[in-house]
Amino acid sequence: METITLFSILAAGLAIGLGSIGSAIGEGFIAMKAVEALGRQPNASGKLIRVMIVGQAVTEAAAIFALVVSLILVFYTPEAGESIYKGYYLLSAGLAIGLGTIGAGLGGGLPGGSCMEGIGRQPENSDILTIQMIVGQAVTQTSSIFALTVSLILLSIDPSNDIVKVFAVVGGGLAMGLGAIGPGIGDGLVAKNANLAVGKNPRQMGLLTRTMVIGQAITETTDIYSLVVSLILIFVV
Amino acid sequence: MEAITGQELIRAVALLGAGIAMGLGAIGPGIGEGFVAGKACEALGKRPDQSQLITRTMIIGQAISETTGIYSLIVALILIFVV
Repeated sequence: METITLFSILAAGLAIGLGSIGSAIGEGFIAMKAVEALGRQPNASGKLIRVMIVGQAVTEAAAIFALVVSLILVFYTPEAGESIYKGYYLLSAGLAIGLGTIGAGLGGGLPGGSCMEGIGRQPENSDILTIQMIVGQAVTQTSSIFALTVSLILLSIDPSNDIVKVFAVVGGGLAMGLGAIGPGIGDGLVAKNANLAVGKNPRQMGLLTRTMVIGQAITETTDIYSLVVSLILIFVV
Repeated sequence: MEAITGQELIRAVALLGAGIAMGLGAIGPGIGEGFVAGKACEALGKRPDQSQLITRTMIIGQAISETTGIYSLIVALILIFVV
């Protein structure tokens, strides 16, 4: 039983430690661009600060997912006679959410930054830029939602007594966690450039949003491969 | 924990390797495809009249970036089901 607690504490630290990297950098990027835009357009300070906080709040979602899993892990109490292998499941859950939110956090910051840039250039476009930013950030968060799903599955299922299966489960957590980094950053890059383009050419917003969502959906495919491999490793093997 | 040897060890490490293969293998294509679509959006903002050409090129470019992700998927599935 003590061994399981040991694993759950280690996993809690990994979950929130790794999981806050992305969001912190992403939010800092938004604030950096907001300060830059304020220097150019001090009169638009109200709009800029409001949109900055909205953007940062959405970016924070990834870190909040990691926090939730981390708190579950901190307060995890093993049942009497629970298999020691449950510890590896908990470790895998922590790695999945910790690594899996790095990309979404970084990716969420990129469109926020370019939205600030657009508002700094033309404050009258702030409404459509905000909508565009939130759509882009929402799609970016899918990778962290996949990681959260896998992590919660790993927290809740009963451990197997087969050591081979335990290796498969740790592999499943790593597949989802590492696999969510790239698509998260990639989605953010798409949304960033789409937002910049909308800022320069607001009349083409419909076309740009459509292309952005198609581009993000294709970027998301590798994330879905990771999810599939992860679920195969957890349930099928 | 009981000792793990021979064929079982190979199977266990192959499964762990499948997870690492797919996980690390998804990082590159994700970022690469994001670059393609991002620059496509930038180009569309400048030349909205060329939207068909730009979207087509974007999808071809992303499909090619995707290939390494598919290699990872295949290797992961081989490690899971064949090894």
